[in-house]
Amino acid sequence: MSSMFKVIKEQIESFYLIRRLSLYELKSTNNNNYLGMMWELLNPGIQIAIYWFVFGYGIREGRDIDGVPFFQWMLAGIVVWFFINPSISQGSKSIYTRIRMISKMSFPMSVIPTYVIFSKLYPHMVLVVISTAILHFTGYPISIYFIQIPYFLFGTIALLLAISLITSTLSTIVRDVQQIVQAILRIMIYLLPILWVTFSLPEWVQSVMKVNPLFYLVEGYRHALLGQGWYIISDPYYTLYFWLIVFILFWIGSALHVKFRKHFIDFL
Amino acid sequence: MSKSVIVKNVTKKYKLYNKTSEKLLDILLPKSYGEDFYALRNISFEAEEGDIIGFVGVNGSGKSTLSNVIAGVVPQTGGTVDIKGNASLIAVSAGLNNQLTGRENIELKCLMLGFSKKEIRGLEPDIIEFAELDKFIDQPVKSYSSGMKSRLGFSISVHTDPDVLIIDEALSVGDKAFAEKCLDKMNEFKARGKTMFFISHSIGQMKQFCEKAIWLEFGQVRMSGDIKEVIPEYEKFLNEYKAMTNEEKKNFREKAMQQQSESTVTS
Repeated sequence: MSSMFKVIKEQIESFYLIRRLSLYELKSTNNNNYLGMMWELLNPGIQIAIYWFVFGYGIREGRDIDGVPFFQWMLAGIVVWFFINPSISQGSKSIYTRIRMISKMSFPMSVIPTYVIFSKLYPHMVLVVISTAILHFTGYPISIYFIQIPYFLFGTIALLLAISLITSTLSTIVRDVQQIVQAILRIMIYLLPILWVTFSLPEWVQSVMKVNPLFYLVEGYRHALLGQGWYIISDPYYTLYFWLIVFILFWIGSALHVKFRKHFIDFL
Repeated sequence: MSKSVIVKNVTKKYKLYNKTSEKLLDILLPKSYGEDFYALRNISFEAEEGDIIGFVGVNGSGKSTLSNVIAGVVPQTGGTVDIKGNASLIAVSAGLNNQLTGRENIELKCLMLGFSKKEIRGLEPDIIEFAELDKFIDQPVKSYSSGMKSRLGFSISVHTDPDVLIIDEALSVGDKAFAEKCLDKMNEFKARGKTMFFISHSIGQMKQFCEKAIWLEFGQVRMSGDIKEVIPEYEKFLNEYKAMTNEEKKNFREKAMQQQSESTVTS
């Protein structure tokens, strides 16, 4: 428990650094491209187009989902995926790729995954704004439910931090963990209600899928962006479950991180 | 004069694994797997403010490990290191981000060291001036030559005003003119009572600059004291080592290896 408070305290104390470092991070990943940071938006755009073509136009043959056209339905859910996916994959290799450079600095190591995640936050926010604009002009105007977005954004960041604390520590010690993380991420998009509809599945299969806390976030974003209702209170136990999972993961993550961080450099 | 660095009984143990499975078992199980290797053993010395200490020794004697331990980059396995103030390590590949430009690297590095935006803006021109990078400062660091990189690294570290400076071979890539400039800067630091550690294979530079020397061998202190006493002994040893036949050299190295993997030493 004490290591959890320690990690939280470090995050708050270094918040200024997190913000500044995340900007340099964003810059250094995109410096090589002629289009620079445009790729942070172009990449999701290309993927959305192909997913719509395959799943919406091809497999669903243009049918809508409970009155919502497939494109809008998918867009509202996939937005958060473009934040989760790179954050987890970059976050889990954040420590072992940078430790040589920043092993002796005046900030705590728990900040490293945080600033990497924050560097993915800026393109995400731009993407949310663009998606909102698209939805606004294609029949889903901004509604009161939209104020759930900051809450779900906060929930996403909290979950991503908790996961990255665990995976960044483990992948520094055993490099294979990074491969496992990549493999899980690759299948994860199909285990979430992003590209296909899960209502038609048996009740118990849906419940199993809901064990995944990312399910909560995708559905939450969708409810907020499409104005489908108050997802936070419509299923209060699920909300409670989500935060319990975040708490447990954060607890494990900070305990692992604090236990091993002194020796990270020895594992290289 | 007061003590600025006190190193006491510092030991650094590494594990050598023959298979990756051994590494995994060593982490997971309480039993010890793999072979011990002592990169440093029972190193003790003290440095006073304004001291300039040179580390000498053949390859693999533990010079770089010791400097990393003093700088706090690598944790020691046993013993204590007390440092008054903050220590800064300058090595050839001193933590520059290859994708960013020189200017961005300066900002990033200073930011990580805890400087505010305003302070960084004040330091920046001096750092660029000292590093002699001219128009390369706005080019990505990956396009720099090794001399340019080490100049930038040295310049940043020197201008962030550390209390203890550790220079690990960083001057060996620069040309003579830049080395002179660095030596001037280091003399200025010396006058201000800062402690410096200097690691170099160039005995000439060492003699010119250091006052004390520590000779490391197999991760232990073989000799320490005034530069005038240590260096001649070390040179004598080097000549002897050079005169050895290949067979003798091999025996010497094997003896070293064996000594460094034993847990207790009687020498």
